[in-house]
Amino acid sequence: SKCFVFHLQKTIRPVQAARGVHQSAHPAPEDTVTASFGQFISEIKPQHLSPVVLQRSKRMVLDSIGVGLIGSTTDVFDLALQHCQHMYAPDFISSVYGRSNVRLSPTLAAFVNGVATHSMDFDDTWHPATHPSGAVLPAVLALSDMMPASRKPSGLDFLLAFNVGIEIQGRLMRFSNEACNIPKRFHPPTVVGPMGSAAACARLLSLDSSQCSHALAIAASLAGAPMANAATQSKPLHIGNASRLGLEAALLASRGLEASPLVLDAVAGVAGFSAFYEDYKPQPLDSPHDGHAFLLEEQDMGFKRFPAHLGMHWVADAAASVHKLLVGVGPGKISPDQVQDILLRVPLSKYINRPFPESEHEARHSFQFNACSALLDGEVTVQSFTPGAIRRPELHALLSRVRLEHPHDNPANFNLMYGEVQVTLVGGDILKGRCDTFYGHWRNPLTNESLRKKFRNNAEVVLPSAKVERLIEAVDELDRLDDCQDLLSQLQ
Amino acid sequence: SFLKLRNFPFHIKLVCSQAAVFFFFFVCLFVCLFSLLQGITESFGAAIHALGASQLTDGVINRSKRMMLDTLGVGLLGTRTAVFNKALKYRITFCRSSSIWGRSDITLPPCYAALVNGIAVHSMDFDDTWHPATHPSGAVLPALLALAETLPSRPSGLDLLLAFNVGIEVQGRLMRFSREAYNIPERFHPPSVVGVMGSAAASAKLLGLSPSQCSHALAIAASSAGAPLANAATQTKPFHIGNAARRGLEAAWLAQMGLEGNPSMLDMDVGLGVYYNDYSPSTMPDCASGAFRWILEDQDVAFKRIPAHLAMHWLVDAALAARGKLQEAAWNFDLSQIQRVTLRVPPSKYINCPFPITEHQARHSFQFNACSALLDGKVTVASFDPAQINRSALKELLSKVEVKTPADNHPSFDKMYCEVQIETAQGESCTARCNTFYGHWRKPLSQEDLVEKFIVNASSVLCTEGVEGVIDVIGNIEKVTECSVLGSYLRMTSNTLEKVYSTGMI
Repeated sequence: SKCFVFHLQKTIRPVQAARGVHQSAHPAPEDTVTASFGQFISEIKPQHLSPVVLQRSKRMVLDSIGVGLIGSTTDVFDLALQHCQHMYAPDFISSVYGRSNVRLSPTLAAFVNGVATHSMDFDDTWHPATHPSGAVLPAVLALSDMMPASRKPSGLDFLLAFNVGIEIQGRLMRFSNEACNIPKRFHPPTVVGPMGSAAACARLLSLDSSQCSHALAIAASLAGAPMANAATQSKPLHIGNASRLGLEAALLASRGLEASPLVLDAVAGVAGFSAFYEDYKPQPLDSPHDGHAFLLEEQDMGFKRFPAHLGMHWVADAAASVHKLLVGVGPGKISPDQVQDILLRVPLSKYINRPFPESEHEARHSFQFNACSALLDGEVTVQSFTPGAIRRPELHALLSRVRLEHPHDNPANFNLMYGEVQVTLVGGDILKGRCDTFYGHWRNPLTNESLRKKFRNNAEVVLPSAKVERLIEAVDELDRLDDCQDLLSQLQ
Repeated sequence: SFLKLRNFPFHIKLVCSQAAVFFFFFVCLFVCLFSLLQGITESFGAAIHALGASQLTDGVINRSKRMMLDTLGVGLLGTRTAVFNKALKYRITFCRSSSIWGRSDITLPPCYAALVNGIAVHSMDFDDTWHPATHPSGAVLPALLALAETLPSRPSGLDLLLAFNVGIEVQGRLMRFSREAYNIPERFHPPSVVGVMGSAAASAKLLGLSPSQCSHALAIAASSAGAPLANAATQTKPFHIGNAARRGLEAAWLAQMGLEGNPSMLDMDVGLGVYYNDYSPSTMPDCASGAFRWILEDQDVAFKRIPAHLAMHWLVDAALAARGKLQEAAWNFDLSQIQRVTLRVPPSKYINCPFPITEHQARHSFQFNACSALLDGKVTVASFDPAQINRSALKELLSKVEVKTPADNHPSFDKMYCEVQIETAQGESCTARCNTFYGHWRKPLSQEDLVEKFIVNASSVLCTEGVEGVIDVIGNIEKVTECSVLGSYLRMTSNTLEKVYSTGMI
């Protein structure tokens, strides 16, 4: 599938032949991709945020907080929090989602809140694929908590930092064609997530352009985790660590730590950020000026309606339409006895192909499980992944009837894939459902009402409704808040 | 059933006994296959759990004690560096419990102590190097010492020694999963790949985790592995070792608390295999079986005499030899007569730096180390001071250097050589070559010289009692009842020295 690498926008100038005549064998600092990123981060201003970007990023902030709040009820969050409380010194600074009497040092708060955000695989997904907000928001929140009361960032500064973190992630992923497809080697949030977090925090700390570059370079040494830990209990730590380590990188850069000035550039024989990709063509970022288009302007975010890998949403919607057909025909409930065979036509991707998932983490990464849950219940919800729900005999019966096919026209790419569910009934009838674009995908975005409904369902699990409503208001007005404290104080 | 066969007709007896033989054969085959199919990750977990002090051989004990001593020395010296102080200032918080080497006034939570002490160890590129290439001890010892100080079980010196060796062994095993690992790296900095795994293994050992928890510690640690090589030759490089130590310890703790990762992390290409272009993992032999042999037994480490990248050691020895030859040949020889210096070295971009500016670049520069050796007749800790790096005489000499990478010079610490050729304006030419420098595993440092290196390093921050205490404890580590006594010696600073360094006057 084609990707963005050579899709030049007006804001990106072509790569220059940067080798000068210096005897140092390095290009002049100003000409490097790395320096251009540092410059961008330090020079970008709130007025560069367009109304569309403001609107879309506020939706991301709201959704991210909501999934973080519900995520604070999970086992993995509990484990991470206990680890931080027992193995580190008490440091009552930055707040923790859903725990009113708990604060941690900023990096550890970013860590646990990041874990919460990704704990149920309920957080946003972008194209090229990554979970951008979970890597950035916890760090920006933690850093804001760290700042003295008299000098808290304004809502607009907060939002700007957040958007810088998202933008940098998007730009970096466009350095590689490999990034456009569902990942096979490194889990993308671990590659670009720390970089986004470092960028966002560098922006919030108002570091100069050299420090911003070094923050990115320091973060690169903290990036990268293998895909093998996806679909395990360790996966949420990928986002937690991305957030935490990016913040750490920015703080170290603010103290003067230096790293490679060529980390984003392609240097033969010495890998920098390129280490994480097979193909790598970096592009410099233009110095921001009026009219700089954030990537979010042209590529919206996908929000999930249920807590599972994005790929599941296609098969769930396809299976749900078959469920409707079946329920329409006969009694309200589906019985496995009616079903002879279930065929799923899905992209080829090993880590989301699990015929009999045993844990909730595996279930969230199983085409088979999500299709059968939706077939059985008409929808997939938070409750679909409880141990009781996972072990239902009727679900297991359906699972044993599933086959997978990987049509050539169904690439492992969130912009191009589809999901097809074909159910053969015992009588011989064949029912088909197909989903090209699920509701919540960037091509068919959740309405504001739907997004808020998701937020309320999530947040009300841990916060009283009054606080939940105030949070909605605070995020909605974020760009007009003088002091982001109004947001921070509602989180616990 | 054999007894009952007596009453059967002969041909049936034969068939039955043949069947029994076949059955027995297939059972054996099945058992063999099963053990082959036992997950690799699982075998590592089992080994980490089961390896006991009785399996430590004299050879391994001796070599690993030398590694510990050297590591502590370079770490103590490293606490004087700017990078260490930046990291320390960043990490000071209220409550502490583990020692910071060379500091009597602060302690930190164990993860952060592991971080900063690990940074100290690698801050000057003075720590040990192995083959395949990595810096094994710096990723492990700081984590273990920090952890030991917090354990209510109060581990003994032998416990520490065993855990240390587990951490080294795991690193060695993992590197042998890839041919790529045998050469000087180009993509990921090896300590960031295997170092965190070694730290996790060692910490899991000291914590006494179950085999399954040990496997999960490795799986969790894998998500913390892998830093790009681009940060070598920068101030961030020491963080690679510091973070390896810290995050491996954290992985072990998380596993202890029940966090789980992929139980086949080491088995899969999409597991640890992501850090390599070729990846062929194999199981760790059952340590009770007699098939187990420590890698350190057969493959020693190199200890450095110069705080610079290992490759520089060949070069300096060759440069000094060439210089010596010229001085002998020409009575009135002086350096200004040098017209050209040709270095024949293995190909490796990140240690090829014609005009280094920072100390970090200088430690990773063939050109700089050759010229320092030619100018001064030696390369020492002091050679990397800013004033020395910026000398005009040095810069002038640097401009006369040419680097060549002959086809027969393989970028591997086991096979490389360095050659220095000096040509003078008078037409004289002198060449010297070094195949194995003193300190390499083929020509190990004598015990006396190793201890001498430690004394010089440690005395920069510790008082005599501390210096001698560490030597004594490490020398007799197998008999020490509580290894945390090491921490108290590591904090015995000479007061004046500590005041100078802790005010940040770097």
